[in-house]
Amino acid sequence: MRAVLAGDVERYAELVRKYRDRYARFAARMLGSSDAAEDAIQDAFVRAYDQLAQCNEPDKFVGWFFLILRNRCFAERRKSKDRVSLDAAQAVEAVERTDRDMETAERRRTLQLALLELTSEQREVFVLKHIEGMSYGEIAERLGTSVPSLKMRMHRAYDRLREQLRDRT
Amino acid sequence: MRHEGRGFHPDVKRLLDGELRGGLDALAPALREDAQEALRLLAEVDRTAPVVSDALEARVMAAVRAKRGRRREMVVRLRPWMLVPALAAAAMLVLLVGRVLQAPTAQAPAVASLTVRFVLVAPDAQRVSVAGTFNQWDPSATPLVRTAEAGVWAATLTLPAGEHQYAFVVDGDQWVADPAAPAVPDGFGGGRRNSVLTL
Repeated sequence: MRAVLAGDVERYAELVRKYRDRYARFAARMLGSSDAAEDAIQDAFVRAYDQLAQCNEPDKFVGWFFLILRNRCFAERRKSKDRVSLDAAQAVEAVERTDRDMETAERRRTLQLALLELTSEQREVFVLKHIEGMSYGEIAERLGTSVPSLKMRMHRAYDRLREQLRDRT
Repeated sequence: MRHEGRGFHPDVKRLLDGELRGGLDALAPALREDAQEALRLLAEVDRTAPVVSDALEARVMAAVRAKRGRRREMVVRLRPWMLVPALAAAAMLVLLVGRVLQAPTAQAPAVASLTVRFVLVAPDAQRVSVAGTFNQWDPSATPLVRTAEAGVWAATLTLPAGEHQYAFVVDGDQWVADPAAPAVPDGFGGGRRNSVLTL
């Protein structure tokens, strides 16, 4: 990263290569589709390059990059709030149907749709804890927030997911 | 029997959080059915990772290279500059934030260059750029961007040491010399002047 800041743009490709897959799953679950996730990741890398000089601690590039990607995901959801997310969730399901039985795929699709009905803040904490496997402490540190407020979000998320799933089945 | 209401009981939530000591067995029997439902919910979470296309890296790098010409370096970020009272199109130049020595690489030997911030106060402008000897006087090459201060446009450039001439271009056709910098006739007659910056 220091090489990039010193003017060697081509070295940025190394950072992209290293971190492109790291948060792909997070982005896909936040946005409901792999394609949207890839667009968000691409956009986040370009923005990160633009703002590279603002990353005060080069050793923490990945955490800093995560926040940019997360903001992209939030913005993207705001933009597409009115759009029906069904297609997106079906796209996720279609890719995965090959190696899973239909029933599992259907249940996952239902849950993914329910996840998309949460607020971005609720979905984020759910995805980070239950999909990325992070602890509340790690999430709080990453997002610069407190564990109690994360738990409050998560507990609302549980309730809303339950409502959603009951309405759908 | 289910917990009253549409939400999960707090103990069931703690179970989902992995923070209920004793796990499922620690729950009141009346809550077990709810707990099973909750755990099924977590079991249905899709943890497969999507495949990111190999083209992503190429697309990012294409976008990044396109930006390179406009802003080669952002090594030094400027401190707030003095704002000239909002004259409609008064311009000023804030410069010389520090001498930047480019890191020598195999392709580029060390060159003394300086980071310069061009600032224009132009509240009515729709777009502003700076054109000069450093960008072949191309008005589209170096756009200024709106800053957080109303009416203030800015761009930061890294330029090689030496003399540069420049002018601001407002809305694509109004060439504005910098009153805060020395100026010379632009060489075309007509009384227009270019600003001079010596680094």
